[in-house]
Amino acid sequence: MIKEDRRKMVEMQGVYKFFGTLKALNNVSLDIYDGEKVVIVGPSGSGKSTLLRSINKLEEIDAGSIIVDGFEINDPATNINKVREEVGMVFQQFNVFPHKSVLENLTLAQIVVRKRSKAEALEIARKLLKKVGILDKADNKPHKLSGGQQQRVAIARALAMQPKLMLFDEPTSALDPEMIGEVLDVMVTLAKEGMTMIVVTHEMGFAREVADRVIFMDEGRILETGTPEHFFSNPQHERTKQFMSQIL
Amino acid sequence: MAEIKPKPKASEQPKKVTIDIGDGVAIPSKEDVGLFTAWRVAFFGAIGIIVFLALFKPDPYLKIMRFVPDGILVTFQVTVESILLALVLGLFTGLGRVSKNRFINGIASLYVEVIRGIPLLVQLFYIYFALGRIVKLPPITSAVFAMAICYGAYMGEIFRAGITSIPPGQTEAARSLGMTSSQSMYHVILPQAFKTILPPVGNEFVALLKDSSLVSILAVSDLLRRGREFASETFTYFETYTTVALVYLIITLFLSKLISIMEERIND
Repeated sequence: MIKEDRRKMVEMQGVYKFFGTLKALNNVSLDIYDGEKVVIVGPSGSGKSTLLRSINKLEEIDAGSIIVDGFEINDPATNINKVREEVGMVFQQFNVFPHKSVLENLTLAQIVVRKRSKAEALEIARKLLKKVGILDKADNKPHKLSGGQQQRVAIARALAMQPKLMLFDEPTSALDPEMIGEVLDVMVTLAKEGMTMIVVTHEMGFAREVADRVIFMDEGRILETGTPEHFFSNPQHERTKQFMSQIL
Repeated sequence: MAEIKPKPKASEQPKKVTIDIGDGVAIPSKEDVGLFTAWRVAFFGAIGIIVFLALFKPDPYLKIMRFVPDGILVTFQVTVESILLALVLGLFTGLGRVSKNRFINGIASLYVEVIRGIPLLVQLFYIYFALGRIVKLPPITSAVFAMAICYGAYMGEIFRAGITSIPPGQTEAARSLGMTSSQSMYHVILPQAFKTILPPVGNEFVALLKDSSLVSILAVSDLLRRGREFASETFTYFETYTTVALVYLIITLFLSKLISIMEERIND
């Protein structure tokens, strides 16, 4: 299943994160290999979003170590912006830039961060918009787009940086049901192209189709790890069984 | 497929953010019928009275109206220069107020607290005479500095409110793309914040224009000062100050209308 000779993209060791007295992450250790697709599930407040957000340091951890793409991100000597260039993130609430056109959403960071020429950035942006199926909306402002379209813009925006790793934080949870499919389709395509992906979601259909591993989190811990089939057929922990019966 | 918890639908529009700072004039909006009508009555009424007085009582009214326009120009000059300087000060103060750097935040907060606690008139005197001990500045320059320093503090709070009104997800999205905090502030947060702060900034502009009448104390020949000069020569105090008040009223009402038009354009 997991080839141990592959390079590790993310290495988390003994990670703790507190919100006040709440242990959002409680001694979490996790390795993600190059090209791997990992789906994280768990009840609300189980720490799955916190785990994801700690990988690009949107949350600062209180103890432990996280190495991303070879860099210890909590080392003050590490330039976190350099690491983030290689780690794309997609948010539940899309967070597209409302004051910029769809095309500008995709070119901004390419120009400002990657220092690409405008022409080059535009070419990459158009290619990606075509890929996610909204090239015809390129010159629109995001508020003219549906939620599903906005989320596809957000995915394309992250991809425009040509990241090595993509983080998805409940990318379909804020969508109307009829728009979930179009976003998942884009993610499935991306997975099949070999992108390393960590996805927090409850879409078990998606997990079954692309995940190499599913991780179940509860109360800040990784409680159970396995293939999607393992979770469907014989989850071990009582909490996992309970959770799976709720979401299926 | 079922969700564990109900999530807010992103399709629901976020509430429109308006920042109310109540020291300017009431900005007429079409929804507020009472104010909208009052604006018309006041504006056209004031113009009507001015025209009437000029036609039927040209002595002294027409003479006054010929005498004060120089002052209107000075009033505008002081207002525009002060507001531009105040905007720059306000931007840096606002950025300082949202800064995580304790020292920068402390300086910005202290500036706001101190300035807001001292009456503008006292600040005008203070800067005029305090600066006067070091460098001899023309009264109008001192006046502009004093007004700008005072309004910069209020402007700083408007900028701060505008910046914090932008959802944190915007910063997170920008930072997750590898932007530095200044890049995300410049490219993502400030352009959005400007839209929110434009109406209150317009409001401050009108408030500043009114407060600029205080600079007449520093021998700056603004609208009020010109009126005083005319009145003290002709002893027509009532007639002069009536005219001066009407001119201020027409200017501020006109500007507040412009701001409300601008606001509507932005919100479209």
